[in-house]
Amino acid sequence: MAGDDDDNAKLQILKNALYDEARNHGSEERLFTQKDLIDLGVIPDSNLLLLVKVVQSLCDDRLLVGVSSGSGIAWRWRNREDAKKYTSLPNEETMMVYAVIDEAGADGIWNRTIKNKLNMHENLVKQCIKHLETKGYIASMKNVEHPNKKMYIKANLRPSDRATGGPWFTEGELDTAFIDQLKEIIFEYIKSKSAYLGSLPGQSANPALRPPRKGTIRGTAPSAPASDADAASARGTKRAATDISNDDSPAPARAPEGGGAPARRPPGKVYLPMPAGYRHYPTVPEIAQLIHDTGITNNTTLGEADIQQLVDVLRYDGLIEPIKVNGRRGYRVARPTKQDTVSFAKRQKDREAGIGLDLPMFGMEPPGNGLTEVPCGRCPVFELCEEGGPVSPANCVYFDQWLEI
Amino acid sequence: MEVTQNAAELCALLIDELYGELPSRIFAVLLSRGRSNLAQLAQYTSMNPRQLRHGLAVLIQYNLLFHQSDGGNTVYEANAAFAYNLIRTGKILEMVESSFGPVAKDVMQNLMISGQTRVSDLLAAYQIKIDRTKAAAEQDMDIEFPEFKLNGVNGNYHEVKKPDHQVKSTAQLNSIICRLVEAELIDVVHSKSFQSPDDIVKEAESQVVANYFPNGVKGGKGKAEYEQKVAEALRKIRSESKSLKRKLESNGAASKRRKLFAGIGQNGASNGTANGTANGSNGVNGANGANGAHEEEMDPALDPKQVIRINYEKCLVDLRNRRLVQFVCDTLGETTGYVYGVLLRILTKQLSRCQLDPRLDIAEDGNENQGPASVTSNELLDNMKTSIDLSLGIGKAAKNIISSRAAEKIRENPPKPKLFIEAAVDGDASADESESDDDESSDYDSDFEEQPAAPAANGSKVKFADGAAGKEQRMDRPMQLRQHLLLLSESHQHFLRHCGTNEWTVDFGPLLQIQREAELDAVIERTSGKDGLRLVRILRTNGKMDEKALQNIALMRKGELQQKMLEMQRAGFVQIQEVPRDNKADVKKSLFLWYVDLESSSTMMLETSYKSMVRCLQVLEVLRQKEKDVLMLTKRTDVKGREKDVMRKEYFDRYSRFQAHEKQLFAQVLRLDDLVALLRDF
Repeated sequence: MAGDDDDNAKLQILKNALYDEARNHGSEERLFTQKDLIDLGVIPDSNLLLLVKVVQSLCDDRLLVGVSSGSGIAWRWRNREDAKKYTSLPNEETMMVYAVIDEAGADGIWNRTIKNKLNMHENLVKQCIKHLETKGYIASMKNVEHPNKKMYIKANLRPSDRATGGPWFTEGELDTAFIDQLKEIIFEYIKSKSAYLGSLPGQSANPALRPPRKGTIRGTAPSAPASDADAASARGTKRAATDISNDDSPAPARAPEGGGAPARRPPGKVYLPMPAGYRHYPTVPEIAQLIHDTGITNNTTLGEADIQQLVDVLRYDGLIEPIKVNGRRGYRVARPTKQDTVSFAKRQKDREAGIGLDLPMFGMEPPGNGLTEVPCGRCPVFELCEEGGPVSPANCVYFDQWLEI
Repeated sequence: MEVTQNAAELCALLIDELYGELPSRIFAVLLSRGRSNLAQLAQYTSMNPRQLRHGLAVLIQYNLLFHQSDGGNTVYEANAAFAYNLIRTGKILEMVESSFGPVAKDVMQNLMISGQTRVSDLLAAYQIKIDRTKAAAEQDMDIEFPEFKLNGVNGNYHEVKKPDHQVKSTAQLNSIICRLVEAELIDVVHSKSFQSPDDIVKEAESQVVANYFPNGVKGGKGKAEYEQKVAEALRKIRSESKSLKRKLESNGAASKRRKLFAGIGQNGASNGTANGTANGSNGVNGANGANGAHEEEMDPALDPKQVIRINYEKCLVDLRNRRLVQFVCDTLGETTGYVYGVLLRILTKQLSRCQLDPRLDIAEDGNENQGPASVTSNELLDNMKTSIDLSLGIGKAAKNIISSRAAEKIRENPPKPKLFIEAAVDGDASADESESDDDESSDYDSDFEEQPAAPAANGSKVKFADGAAGKEQRMDRPMQLRQHLLLLSESHQHFLRHCGTNEWTVDFGPLLQIQREAELDAVIERTSGKDGLRLVRILRTNGKMDEKALQNIALMRKGELQQKMLEMQRAGFVQIQEVPRDNKADVKKSLFLWYVDLESSSTMMLETSYKSMVRCLQVLEVLRQKEKDVLMLTKRTDVKGREKDVMRKEYFDRYSRFQAHEKQLFAQVLRLDDLVALLRDF
């Protein structure tokens, strides 16, 4: 008896020592092989039999979790609190259910999967889950990919991005308003940084035949020393009054604004493409930094990958185009000369006041061609239309509308 | 030209519009029945031979038929391509006017009205006109050729002509024709002009077999040789229509004249395209008259028996140039568009047609008609109008934030067709990925280091003002021009390729493909909205995709996406493919992949365009029926020309409203033709 007690005490000491040593050697994620455990130097004489005994006992206490890895069996440790939860469970079944949910981690697990994995009766699983839920060990969650499946997750975990759908989802729904807002901001940023805001030399007159004028297009004020920062900041921001007086296009009297963003640019402003080889087209990291700095997304953190996703959407929308200069991958606005020069702030104000709601959110009017203009291009009964048929050129209402007859 | 039902209908309507119902009906029958002889035609159309002969004569006069006779039996075949070209009459005239001046347009118009014409006939007709003009110098010009019926297509070319827009002497007419021939806009009708292309090919083939391969074509080598011989024979036939041009060239008048003009400087002929594209003014043409006397004397008198006609192929090249310039104006701005226009004009001077014939042009070894060579910066500079301010149209940036190395990169080879995988992997559409990666590290980190490197790369021609922004605005003209060229070659659409130091060229194939996509995008955006366009473009860059992947990239709600995709599938913009996972092909387990097929979308769009054009013309006919009484009135000789004074107000209002509608409909047909030209002919 005394020997047994002795052994038990010794085992307990070894267990604690091994557990602590393992904790010191890695995170909860780390897998320890048998060799790793021996090399921890806790087990005297590298006694394998003793190791087996200690590990078995730790496993029973739920302090070690056996995992079969590629090279054989391995273990990782579990913190005492979690282990305590296991031991506090009333029966084996509940423990097993909890283990399965635990294993699933942040992705969560479908209750049907639990049932299949454990091969248990549905009622029993339900019972266990109910017990675990009331104890507050697990919580139900929603997965965007399978919105109808009832999923469970350990209560102290946050559902993973895969389950929630990443930053674009709010409560399992794609947050399109959020996305659109961000897209607009990014687009405005790219537009102002990748094109040059110049004045339009006389919209009606022939631009080509005018004598060249000084100061028609000027980025940096002549007095300002030219530098990267200057050129970059001069674009897209308010231009000095002296700059404008140089233009002979009628510059309307600009109401002095209190230092804020320009409310409205004088008409006759136009975005011009930057010269070839321009190296400051905004890149994704820059945009991400902007979004971060402005703090628009106060409770969602957006990584560069997320911003890239939005930029890609803008690219697919045909609003911006990628441009690579010396390996620096930037983005610039497409068709710069066709972009409106109304500022972001002004547009926001207008929209609040209910003006221009029918205009596209941002970007320019889509280009048209012969087919989009003629009624036939949009005709819902185009297929049926033939001479002498129920729909025919002779009785076409769309053409009548179009021709205003 | 592939003739579909809608296209056939359109051609028949166009002929009806211009030349009346009789030729139109015969043409329609020929299109639907294929080649036929007189007896067959009589049967199909239930017309008597006399009517038929009249109709056929008209069609032949306007080059709308192919015909071939062997031993008394003549068969006729419709020339649908030429019939379609009738729609472009107005555009071609406008183009000629802006490039060669109003007088040349007048000549071209008359040539169009009279179809193929002997030079002597044209001269005689003009002689009468000139005489009469002289006789009644101060009178208005009522003695014109029969009014061109398709008023609408000609747009506003109807205005009262000023005397200086008229041909003043036969020598001037001769010189104008010479210039148009040199520009290939007019070519010569020869014995093979009325044979259908298929017949010509067959004949050439059988001749080659008879002459060189009496024992049949054997082996791979023999086959290659045979093909080469056929191509040679075909080329010979094709170049026959250029005989007049060659004659003029060998005469040396053209080059002499060019030299003379170079001395004088400004002339309408060399600057014409610019007028139309960049500013649309005619002011510069004033110089024409002053030079007139010199140029006329130098041109040789043309053989009066020579029959000439309009060469639509070359006209198309010029129309394509205009279209591309428009595209550049739209994407990069007008000044750059002007530069591009000048460049295209020089580049395509030797280009006879937009689309190379695989049979004829592949075998050639680059001597003639091969893809355009290149244009040097100096050539361009010499052709720029001095009144154009090249400093406009491009933003300014300090010198040190411009990488001249990247901008000046020389690309010797045309871009390779893009692969889906490449684009999908790095999410970047630029085709020159590997090239630019090389210098990534060195260039980007050390901004100032490359300054000394730049001149080496550019040759001695390019000089940079040092650093300061003040100096930068004073770039000299070659540099300003260069800025525009670099901008063009850097563009996403690859308008231009910097193919050697100071040499520039255009890869028409890929560029037009991009433009076709752009037009398709416009249609998709208008019919399926921005979301639809986004989805299509995702599929276009990434290839086939299932719904879930699509959803992730497009950031769209599942329901909306499904609805949009279905909508677009019905419209024919996207297609779906079912991929079974296993042998059982269980539908529930199958993958469904969405994809886009540009080819079929384009074909569909082309058909829709034809049909829309047909509808426009039909609606016009309906309107004509409705306003029949008013239109009858305006045809009376005592009313014609004085509608406003003679007609009752109520009637005149109806008339002017009809005219507005007619104009609108014709304009729309022309807009649709822009699309058709891009999809089919360019």
